[in-house]
Amino acid sequence: MSQNAASTTTGDEATTASDTMVKVRDLKTYYDTGGLLSDRPVKAVDGVSFDIKRGETLGLVGESGCGKTTLGRTLIQLEEATDGEVLFDGTDITELRGDQLYEWRRNAQMVFQDPDSSLNDRMTIGEIIREPLDVHDWKTPADRRKRVKSLLDEVGLSPEHYYRYPHQFSGGQRQRIGIARTLALNPEFIVLDEPVSALDVSVQAEIINLLEELQDEFDLTYLFIAHDLSVVRHICDRVAVMYLGNIMEIGPTEELFTDPANPYTHALLSAIPKPDPTASRDRITLHGTPPNPRYPPTGCPFSTRCPVRIRPDEYEGLDDEIWTGINGLREIIRERMRADRSIRERVRERFGLETRFATIDETYDELFGGLAVPDDVERVLSEVTDAAGAHEEREALDRLNAEFGSVCDGVGPDGDGDPVEPEYYEVSDSGRLSYCHRHADEHRETAAVLDDRS
Amino acid sequence: MSTRQRDSTDGLEEPDDDKLLRDRVRENPRPAMVWLAGLAFLLLLEIGRVFAGVGQAFGIVGFTVELLAGIPTSVGDNVAGTLGSAAGFVATAITAVLMAFAVTVPVSASVPDAAVDILGLDLSRRGHRWAKRAELTFVVVAAAGLVAYTPVGGAFSALIGAITGGVDALASSLPSITSRELIPNAGHRLPEGGWEGTFLGLSPAAAWAIRTGLVFAYATTVLVWLWRGFDVYRTHYRLADWTPRDDTVRRFRNNYWGLFGFAIVFLFVVMALWAPAVSPVEAQHNIYEPNSHEFQYLDENGEVTSTTHVFANLDSRSDGQNTIGPMSYDDYNRWAPLGTTNRGQDMMTHLSYGARTSLVIGITAIGLGALIAVVLSLLSSYYKGITDIVTVMASDTIQAVPALLLIMLVSVVFQEANHPIAQPLDGGLLLALIFAFAYWPGMWRSIRGPSLQVSEQEWVDAAKSYGQTPLQTMRKHMAPYIAGYILIYGSLLIGGVIISTAALTFLGLGINPPTPEWGRLIDGGQSYVSTSSWHVATIPGIAIVLVVVAFNALGDAIRDAIDPEADVDESEAAATGGGA
Ligand code: SF4
Repeated sequence: MSQNAASTTTGDEATTASDTMVKVRDLKTYYDTGGLLSDRPVKAVDGVSFDIKRGETLGLVGESGCGKTTLGRTLIQLEEATDGEVLFDGTDITELRGDQLYEWRRNAQMVFQDPDSSLNDRMTIGEIIREPLDVHDWKTPADRRKRVKSLLDEVGLSPEHYYRYPHQFSGGQRQRIGIARTLALNPEFIVLDEPVSALDVSVQAEIINLLEELQDEFDLTYLFIAHDLSVVRHICDRVAVMYLGNIMEIGPTEELFTDPANPYTHALLSAIPKPDPTASRDRITLHGTPPNPRYPPTGCPFSTRCPVRIRPDEYEGLDDEIWTGINGLREIIRERMRADRSIRERVRERFGLETRFATIDETYDELFGGLAVPDDVERVLSEVTDAAGAHEEREALDRLNAEFGSVCDGVGPDGDGDPVEPEYYEVSDSGRLSYCHRHADEHRETAAVLDDRS
Repeated sequence: MSTRQRDSTDGLEEPDDDKLLRDRVRENPRPAMVWLAGLAFLLLLEIGRVFAGVGQAFGIVGFTVELLAGIPTSVGDNVAGTLGSAAGFVATAITAVLMAFAVTVPVSASVPDAAVDILGLDLSRRGHRWAKRAELTFVVVAAAGLVAYTPVGGAFSALIGAITGGVDALASSLPSITSRELIPNAGHRLPEGGWEGTFLGLSPAAAWAIRTGLVFAYATTVLVWLWRGFDVYRTHYRLADWTPRDDTVRRFRNNYWGLFGFAIVFLFVVMALWAPAVSPVEAQHNIYEPNSHEFQYLDENGEVTSTTHVFANLDSRSDGQNTIGPMSYDDYNRWAPLGTTNRGQDMMTHLSYGARTSLVIGITAIGLGALIAVVLSLLSSYYKGITDIVTVMASDTIQAVPALLLIMLVSVVFQEANHPIAQPLDGGLLLALIFAFAYWPGMWRSIRGPSLQVSEQEWVDAAKSYGQTPLQTMRKHMAPYIAGYILIYGSLLIGGVIISTAALTFLGLGINPPTPEWGRLIDGGQSYVSTSSWHVATIPGIAIVLVVVAFNALGDAIRDAIDPEADVDESEAAATGGGA
């Protein structure tokens, strides 16, 4: 049935391969967790676009908190999208309401991460798996019971488990029950939210194999969310790498793993222990933690931690440690800018008393103490710290960016105007995309720079 | 505990566990029949009281319905007073429709869909739901209108009257094993010794002891029989061989402090339910209308004379000078197992009817408060955001007013106005409603954490992901987890309500005489504690302490029983103990 739907709605913009099932366009999901007063939402998913083809498994990887789970939940409408569209066989499901949404929900289901939390302990296994069928008034009650039993069999449990309770099962078995419930309505698309990360390593493989078998048997399309890269490499056809609400790179799994294009993918993959000890490149250590998604950096989301951030030509030769210091300084100024200082603290500051903010000079010493900072750099930096010390953070940042900023920080070639963001560059014949300025002709490629700088 | 996997390629042929309970009983009827026969026998023994209970239930329902039915008109009258009669009529109608609608929402799910299908509309699922509710509302309003504004109403109330009358007649004519007629204990001495008018000519004390003993034996048998029912169901008819409830029951059974609490609460409840049977004199004669009931006794001159209770009570007061202590007869041949009160009434009678009062108030207050708390906590934790904020503000506002002040204010206002609500139990019902209003914020607060927690569980998301309705999600996936908590807080608070009622009555604010109340007993006896009439305040005082402690123990035991962590701790302790 969905086959027909897809073919009748061709003629959409962009790629309309007939086998595209889900088309996500510029999707944004913001949370407003700040209560009534805060107007800055958490940008969990901040404008992503990709396609999922019928029958494939798309992996979604990234550190925790990068928005991958939110993205998955938005795709099945557990979360409301703030902007953008999710076309499911041509229908924008973010627009569905009421009955249409209810009907559509049959098509897309989710396997949850924590098998302890995803099954209601007060219900029998039979009741749990049956509930979707009851909700959708599927055939007769006797048929439903029959279906539940065949589902139990399908996921490797036995029909007499119908009257048992979740307490009586191990984590792996509970996950099987969760999978059976997901399958009850014959969905086409399933979001797997780290389905094995809560399980013992020994049962992870069983569940993965089960998922693969079921995919073949029922022609399922998976979005596989994970942070375990080896599992992703095993099961996924394509992978999307997410960072701070953005997709940094997306493409066929093997290619992406063997020849990553995006600096973030490089960093992520370098964290996997290499089987080959003679492998050329060292592990890339990322400084700091991902920025707060309420205040993402301007320009490239990865710019605060990127090991190959583009630097202005005149400072290309500057010591790496000084660069680390400059980046640190920028972060601290940004931090100071948005910290709301209470009146009391302002008063204390005025009288030179100690506040909970270290003075900018201390910070400076901490960052650059013991480094041989060239004179011209030092001059700029002292201007910056002076401005910051006078609480002119905006000015300090502008000064810093004017001197040391690059496209990565959103500073355009002409130095002002709206912040520029990277674009997606096609980095291989397979259509792999990477979100990084490094792929533009005028910059050197990531791998080369990594070798240089390490 | 864990089970086999992939061991059942043959498991698909239908095993015979797909039958409904009815079929399973039909297949193996013996245990169920035996149990039912036992239950029927037990009910038959007390058939008179069963009907009396039914009659009382009718009365309560009737009163509630009347009260609710009065709301639209009183709203309408108020509006009519300020805006004119047309507006008043509209307000009456709107209130009535809204109330009818509120009634239909929870029940509409259990009405068959065919009710809407006959309309022949092509409706969406949501439209279908609303259509059904609208239809039911219409039916309710139409029925109410018929009763209120047409002659049908007269016939209807006549019918109700006939039924109630019939039930009452049955209640008084059918026998009960614990009835006063079967085992009378009110009689008088004979000049030549011995007793007249008592059961088998025994002394009133013995007759009363037999009857009271019988009451408790009977109640215990009923309890045992109910437990047997659970057991029979579990062993013969239940499909699951284990449910989480089994563990709860097992944990509760091993908790001796909780069992002690349960035992005391059981005694308290039995005393309240069988108050007419365990009281040595009839409350109607001794407390409510002592003027109009005569009885006979053997006076000092050795003659059988008759007098009214009001005079006898005057002579039997325990007020420091004069004392009828526990386990004694007064001068009028009346047996007083717990002595008399400072006003000469029988203490045991007072205590058992007072238990009734406390129980009714406690259950009404906590039941209503818990209902409000649960509904609001489900709504506010499911929808969060603005619903939550509004609930927080409402509960904070109520909690900002000191509960005692609130209770005193409201009860004075209603009692001065002589509002119909202030009449049942001489202010008891009013008190219960005020308690419910004052206590729900506390209960809501204490279950707010658990309900927020359960609303974060992935199974709630899962339910949403396959399109379960919010109402069903709350009922199936959230409410069962909150129920345990509300049971705990309810049983802890019920002690508080009982003690507050007593305290208010002690202060002269709560329940007016003649309705028996423990607080008034304590108040009446407090000045005689150091005299020979010490028992007047001491006995009800001890009773209150016992009951409150027992309810607390019960609440704690329930908490331990439903908390699976308790089990983990046990097994862990066992494991480490074994390892060390
Ligand atoms: S755009 Fe710049 S900061 Fe972002 S990943 Fe590429 S090189 Fe790094």
